[in-house]
Amino acid sequence: MQELVDLTSKLLQNGDVNVVIGYEEGPRGVRPVVAATPDDCRRLIFDHRAVHNLATYLSPRRKHLRVRGRAAVVLKGCDAAAVATLLRERQLKRDDVVLIGVRCGGVYRTTTAEGALSADNVADRCGGCALREPTLVDHLVGDLPPEPPTAGQRAARIAALEELSPAERFDYWRRSLADCVRCNACRAVCPLCVCERCVADKTDPQWIESSPHLRGNFSWHMARALHLAGRCVDCGECQRACPAGIPLTVINGKVGQVMGARFGFRPTDDPDAPAPIGTFDPDDSQEFIR
Amino acid sequence: MNLYTPHPVRVAEVIDETVDTRTLRLEFKDPAFAESFDFKAGQFGEYSVFGAGECTFCIASPPTRRGYIECSFKKVGKVTNAMRELEVGDTMGFRGPYGNHFPLDRMEGDNLLFIAGGIGLAPVRCVIWNALDLRDKFRDVTIVYGARSVGDLVYRRELEEWAGRDDVKLWQTVDPGGETPDWKGEVGFVPSVVEKAEPKAENTYAIICGPPIMIKFTLPVLIKLGFTKDRIFTTLENRMKCGLGKCGRCNIGPVYVCKDGPVFTAAQLEDLPPEF
Amino acid sequence: MSNEQKYLSESEFDALVRELIASGKRVVAPVAAEDDLEPQADYRAVSDPAKIVLDGPLPRRSLKEFFLPATEALLRWRLKKGDVALDETEADYPETVVVGASPCDAAALPTVDRVMDWDYRDEPWFGRREATVVISRACPGRDSSCFCPVVGLAPDSTRGADVMLYPSGEDAGGYLVEVITERGAALVAAHSKHFQAPREPAGVARLREEARARVDGNSSARPDEIRRWLDKNFEHELWDRLAERCHGCGACAAVCPTCHCFDIVDEPEGGDSGTRRRNWDTCQAAVFTLHGSGHNPRETQNARFRQRVLHKFAIYPERFGEILCTGCGRCVRACPGGMDLPEILEELGRLATSSQSAGGTP
Repeated sequence: MQELVDLTSKLLQNGDVNVVIGYEEGPRGVRPVVAATPDDCRRLIFDHRAVHNLATYLSPRRKHLRVRGRAAVVLKGCDAAAVATLLRERQLKRDDVVLIGVRCGGVYRTTTAEGALSADNVADRCGGCALREPTLVDHLVGDLPPEPPTAGQRAARIAALEELSPAERFDYWRRSLADCVRCNACRAVCPLCVCERCVADKTDPQWIESSPHLRGNFSWHMARALHLAGRCVDCGECQRACPAGIPLTVINGKVGQVMGARFGFRPTDDPDAPAPIGTFDPDDSQEFIR
Repeated sequence: MNLYTPHPVRVAEVIDETVDTRTLRLEFKDPAFAESFDFKAGQFGEYSVFGAGECTFCIASPPTRRGYIECSFKKVGKVTNAMRELEVGDTMGFRGPYGNHFPLDRMEGDNLLFIAGGIGLAPVRCVIWNALDLRDKFRDVTIVYGARSVGDLVYRRELEEWAGRDDVKLWQTVDPGGETPDWKGEVGFVPSVVEKAEPKAENTYAIICGPPIMIKFTLPVLIKLGFTKDRIFTTLENRMKCGLGKCGRCNIGPVYVCKDGPVFTAAQLEDLPPEF
Repeated sequence: MSNEQKYLSESEFDALVRELIASGKRVVAPVAAEDDLEPQADYRAVSDPAKIVLDGPLPRRSLKEFFLPATEALLRWRLKKGDVALDETEADYPETVVVGASPCDAAALPTVDRVMDWDYRDEPWFGRREATVVISRACPGRDSSCFCPVVGLAPDSTRGADVMLYPSGEDAGGYLVEVITERGAALVAAHSKHFQAPREPAGVARLREEARARVDGNSSARPDEIRRWLDKNFEHELWDRLAERCHGCGACAAVCPTCHCFDIVDEPEGGDSGTRRRNWDTCQAAVFTLHGSGHNPRETQNARFRQRVLHKFAIYPERFGEILCTGCGRCVRACPGGMDLPEILEELGRLATSSQSAGGTP
C-alpha cells in the first residue's frame, strides 16, 4: 500500500515519530512489524490478513517497545476502539502516539488464509462493522473496500448455548475450560489487559488459583470476562492466541450483548464516549439487586 | 515420597534480628532423619509453610552444630509473610540440602576474610561458625560487616561474641547517618572499611556476600589488596522453585545457580553473562 | 532397517486399539478437535478407535501433557495440632499406549528425560514414562513451519518411539510396522494376532521420500554453528530488537514438546489441609524470574526471548548434548505475534557464518 509507505516514511523522516508499528509480509503470513527507517516502511502492507490488533503494542506494559520512543501505529476501526478505551482509561496520552487509520473491508480469522473474504473465513466481528472508517486517527489511508460478509458461527453458537439448560451449559464450559493450561496468552495479547500486576498474579491474598484445574480455570476466565465487560472491543485476539482453542470470543460476545442490551454500550473509537463501568445512571436496570 | 516432598520440621526458636528480619531455628521431627542429616556450609534448601508454599534460603547455621538448622529471612512475599506468623512449636517443611558449598577444606591452614552487608551475613555466618568451631584449622579470621544503620545489624548477640574473642578481628560499620550516639563501630561503607582494615591477601581466602552494589565496589578493593579472583568466594541467589535443576528459572546463561552454585568465585562470576 | 518388522492392516489396527482399551489400558491418540472453527486435532484418551484421526493435522498441543501434566498434585498436607501429615499423591500412573504419536513429539521424550534425570530423578515424569508405550506414525511432512531436519530429525525419525507405523500408501490403508524397543516388542508380542507377516508395501518408501522432501528445504540453519555463535554473543544488537513483536504470552511454551519449566504452588483446601501442585510455567512471563525484592534479572521481553533461544540451542546442548527442540513448528503456528523460530535460526546462522568469514575464532 504505497500511500501507507509514503506517509510513514515521511513521519519518520520528519522526526514526528521514532517507530511505526504496522503489518508486514512475514515468512508465514502477515505479522506485526516495528519499522524504524523509511527503508523498513517499504515492507508495510495492509490486507485481509491484517488480523492482529496492534493497539496492544501501545499498552504501558510493553516496556521493550516504549524505549523505542514515539510511535505511529496502523489501526483498523476495531483496533482504534481499543485505543479509545486506553485513552478513556488514561493508559495512554493522545499526544504520545500518531494514529494511522486504514479503511477496512474486514479481515480473515487467521493470518494465513487465502482467497476471497467469505462467510467461512471472515472474522466474527467484521459483519455489520460500524467502524470501517475509524475517526480516532491522525491520518486515514486507503479506499473504502466493499462491506465484509458476516460470519454466522459465533452468533449461532451463542444462540445454541442459550437454548441449553444451565446444567448443560455448565457442562459445555466445563469441557471447554478443561483444556486451559493457564499460559495466559489471552491476557498477554489483549490490548485492554493493562494491569501492571494482574489480579491472577497476586499471591497474597491469592484470589485466583494459578493451577489449570477447573476451579482455577473458572476463576480466571470469569475474572477475565468481568474485567473486560464494557471495555472489550471484540478484537478476538484472545481466542486467536489460545493454544487450547477455547472459544473465548463466545464469552466476550455474550458479555458484549449484555452490555449492549443493559447499558447501550457498543465498542466505539470515540474516547469521550462514557464507559459503562465508570458512569452512574439512575435509570440503570437494578433488578439484579434483590 | 517423590523428591519434592519436604521433611517436617518444628520451629524451635524465633529470634527477631531487626524490625523486618527474623531467624527461625528448625528441628527435624523425624529423629532418624535428624541424626543422618548433614550438609556443607553454603548449601541451601527449600523451606515451606504449608498453605503458603516454598521459599529458597541458605542454611544460616553451621554444619558443625547438629540437631537443627536455621534460616534468616526478610518479609518480602507470600511465604515469608507466612513464616513471619509462625511461633515456637509450629510446623514447617524443609527439603535439601542443595547446591555446592564453600570449599572450607581447601581453605584449611589459611587466613579467612569474611565480608558481609545487611542480611548477606546469613550465609557468611554459617561459614564463620563452621570455621570458628574448627578454630585450630585456620589462621587469622577477620570479619567486616556493615549494615545501613545500627538497627539493621543482624545476629547482634553473635557480633558481640565475635567482638569479645581475641582470635577474631571484627570490623563493624554502618552507613553514614545510620549510627546512634553510642555506636562504637565504624561509620562508612563496607568497601572503604575493608580498605581501612587492610587484610593481607597472602594465604587468605575472602568470602563476601551482600547487596550487589556492595560486592561491585568491594571487589576492586580486594584486587588492589592483592587478592586473586579465584580466592574470592561469594554466593548468589536467584528465583528458584525446585532447587534441583529442573524448573528452569535460576540459570544465568549456561550456569544453574541451584546446581553449579550458589557458591561462585569472583573469577567464575566474571565469566557469567550479565543477567543476575 | 534391521529391526523386526510386521504388517498391520487397517481393520486390525482398529481391533488392536479395541483390545488395548478392553485390557484396561489408556489409549491416547490424535482426534479431531470437537469445538473449533478451523480443522484442528488434539491428543486425547480415546474409547473408540473410530475417533482416531491418524492422517489429520498435527495436534495443537504436544504429547508433553501426558508425561508432565499442565497441573499435578505433588503432595497433600494435613495440619493437626502442631504437626503435619504429608500424604503422597497417588503414584499409580495409568498404563498408557500412545497410538499415532507424531515423530517430533516422541523425539522430545528422551530429550526431556535428560533434565528430569539430572542428578535427581523426577519420579512423576519417569513414573509416566515407564507406564507408557509410544507407537509413532511416520509424518507426511506438514507445512513450511516444520523444521525437524534442522535439529537432526526427520518426518520418519524413530527416536522416542517404541513402535513405528509407516503408512502403506495403498488404497486399503494399513501400515508397515517397525519394532524399535523391547517395550515395543513386548506390546507387539502380547497382541501378536493382529500383526501379520512382514511385507513392505510399495508405497512406504515413496511416502517417506515425499515427506522428507516436503520439509527438507524449509531451513538450512546449522545448529552447531548457531551454538558456537550463541556461546560468544550473549550481548549482541540482535537481541535488542528480536522480540519487539513478541507478546510474552507463552503460547509457544504451552504447545512446545520440549519446554518443561514449571512452578510449584500451595493450594489450601479448607483451613488445615491442601495440595502442593506443580504447574506448567514459561520463561516468557515477566514474573518467572522476578525476585521478591522487585529485581528481575530478565527485565525485558527481549531478554526473555533470548533465554528461550539460548536454553534450546546452547544451554541444553552444553549440559546434555541434546538440542531442546524437535522442529515441530508449533511455536510458529501458535504465535499470535508472528515470532518465527526457523526464521530466527536462519538469521542466527547468517550471523554465525559472517562472524566466521570475518575472521572470528571458530
